[in-house]
Amino acid sequence: MRRFDIVTLESPNRAPLRIEGFLFGEENTKGPSIAIVGAMSGDHVNQLYVASGLVDYLRTKEEEGKIIGKILVIPAVNAYALNMGEKFWPLDKTDINMMFPGYHQGETTQRIAARLFDTLKGYDYGVILEGRRDQGMCLPYVKMIQSGYEDLECAKDLGMNFIHYRPHEPVETAMLQYNWQLWETKAFSIVFGKNGTIDQRDSEEVHTALVRFLSKRGMLKFSVFEGKQSNIIDPHKITLLKASRAGIFISKVRCGTHVEKGERLGKIIDALSGEKLEKIISPCEGIVTCQYSHPLIFQNSIAFRIASVEICCQIIN
Amino acid sequence: MGIVEEVFTIELPVGESFRIQRCRYTSKNEEDSKRISIVSGIHGDELEGQYVCFLLGEWLRQNPEKIRGTIDIYPAINSLGIDSITRSIPFYDVDLNRIFPGSKNDFLPAQIADGVVNVMRGSDLAIDIHSSNVFLREIPQVRIAKSQEETLVPLANLLNIDFVWVHDAVTVLESTFAHAMNTIGTKTLVVEMGVGMRLGKAYGHQLLDGLLNLMAHEGILEIEPLKVRFPIQSHVGEVAYLNAAYPGLFVPAIEHCQMVSKGDVVGHIVSALSGEVMDEVIAPIGGMLFTLRAYPIVYEGSLLGRIFGKICGDSQ
Repeated sequence: MRRFDIVTLESPNRAPLRIEGFLFGEENTKGPSIAIVGAMSGDHVNQLYVASGLVDYLRTKEEEGKIIGKILVIPAVNAYALNMGEKFWPLDKTDINMMFPGYHQGETTQRIAARLFDTLKGYDYGVILEGRRDQGMCLPYVKMIQSGYEDLECAKDLGMNFIHYRPHEPVETAMLQYNWQLWETKAFSIVFGKNGTIDQRDSEEVHTALVRFLSKRGMLKFSVFEGKQSNIIDPHKITLLKASRAGIFISKVRCGTHVEKGERLGKIIDALSGEKLEKIISPCEGIVTCQYSHPLIFQNSIAFRIASVEICCQIIN
Repeated sequence: MGIVEEVFTIELPVGESFRIQRCRYTSKNEEDSKRISIVSGIHGDELEGQYVCFLLGEWLRQNPEKIRGTIDIYPAINSLGIDSITRSIPFYDVDLNRIFPGSKNDFLPAQIADGVVNVMRGSDLAIDIHSSNVFLREIPQVRIAKSQEETLVPLANLLNIDFVWVHDAVTVLESTFAHAMNTIGTKTLVVEMGVGMRLGKAYGHQLLDGLLNLMAHEGILEIEPLKVRFPIQSHVGEVAYLNAAYPGLFVPAIEHCQMVSKGDVVGHIVSALSGEVMDEVIAPIGGMLFTLRAYPIVYEGSLLGRIFGKICGDSQ
């Protein structure tokens, strides 16, 4: 393993920012290569945890002589934000994952993105460990946006339950996944967890999926159990259950729960009077893939997302 | 007298509602159908537009007989942010101006964006007033995507601003309010002026004159067009960016909006710890310093200023 600085940036008063990489395998191997990027935001601590856990795992496997490709893991891109409870770049609040492919003569986070991207270019595979952008928590899923260069087949080797496959939005053209794909890396994101927290079960699922991918794609000499047959989902067809009222949100189910039509999923109560304002009932049978995670809910917020086979799934045989 | 209305509300969890308010001024003549929306506060830390809204409202209250259309004033789109010095949508930390056109089936910021678009749908014109952020001070200017140049530059030239900046289309800007509104047929101009979290009275009065002039030309106000300044057009020159080469404390050597010559010292980056001057910031071209850093702490890459100068070799 080689631990090295990918980016260093001096600060006016803080210790310099260091984006560290952990490289496994031979630098000039003819085998396949992969780069795995962890926390790009300061609240992506679950992503940090999975990435650092993978570093520890791969260190052991390298000692056993089982690395046959080139594997780069970058656990934390935005350590400055992680170290002070910020979400984005602490000075100007810009999101590093909105700055790709970066610009060497540009503003600070554009320069960070450009230097990072210089290192990330050229890998065969690219995985971004992502948190959510809303107040939600979800079952781990693969997010693959359609840039015209995406490779849906490779993502199936993760063996994860769901792959969200959809056209890209305008803002995503400045994100790492889109740009990585344009530079011919087979890139995708794994979205999981609840921002600011660590979920052990989700972490293990993502870790196992990454190890499976490394094994199946010829970078790790290690046998793994087969994963799930991935369901390709159009995320726009997931059933949304919105809170018709604001208040205190009490959920009765976990992400991943199979629910029946008519089943009670949660309730909203008046935050001041305690009056029950709404029972949230499932309108269909399916799996709760995502739910609102904060105890205070806004009116019209999405309380639950339910994936049902009839509505949104295309089972790939 | 304008009519104050809540045009968009969403319940907040604890005994409050998020609301967007507007003040609507209408003509007594029902045949006057033209409509303009004056918008500010999409970013909660940008307050110049609040003052412009006040000035315009004050003028309209004093001159109701001049109104020949519908004038909607929206001073605080991100009302939670305006009242709490928060640029993004609080709780979500999402830049509202990167989430348009929004959706009813997405999280709160996207629902707000969707609500804003629907409220203003049908407006003939919209003026989206931004300050700069807290880091930079800007002269009054309108920024226009190249694809909208033909339609919007003639309108921008009426606004009594100093600079019209036509820039290349950037895909990420398709998520802005202006792009969303222009897409549905509302001619929308983005004004940038001043600095975040502060008011500049002179700029407010300057833009008020521009708005009155624009509305006179569009027939929304029955007044004589005002004599306004004709803005510098970006196509006659080039914009040079000054980015910090070192981290430290930026101390400007000249005032905002000054003319500089190539080689002039714009400022210094100094170390508060060692007492050293880390860098001398030199103007790479001659021209007008139309952007100047207002917040002194800088990292490598932080924008210190922008200079607009004529293209080298241009004989104009």
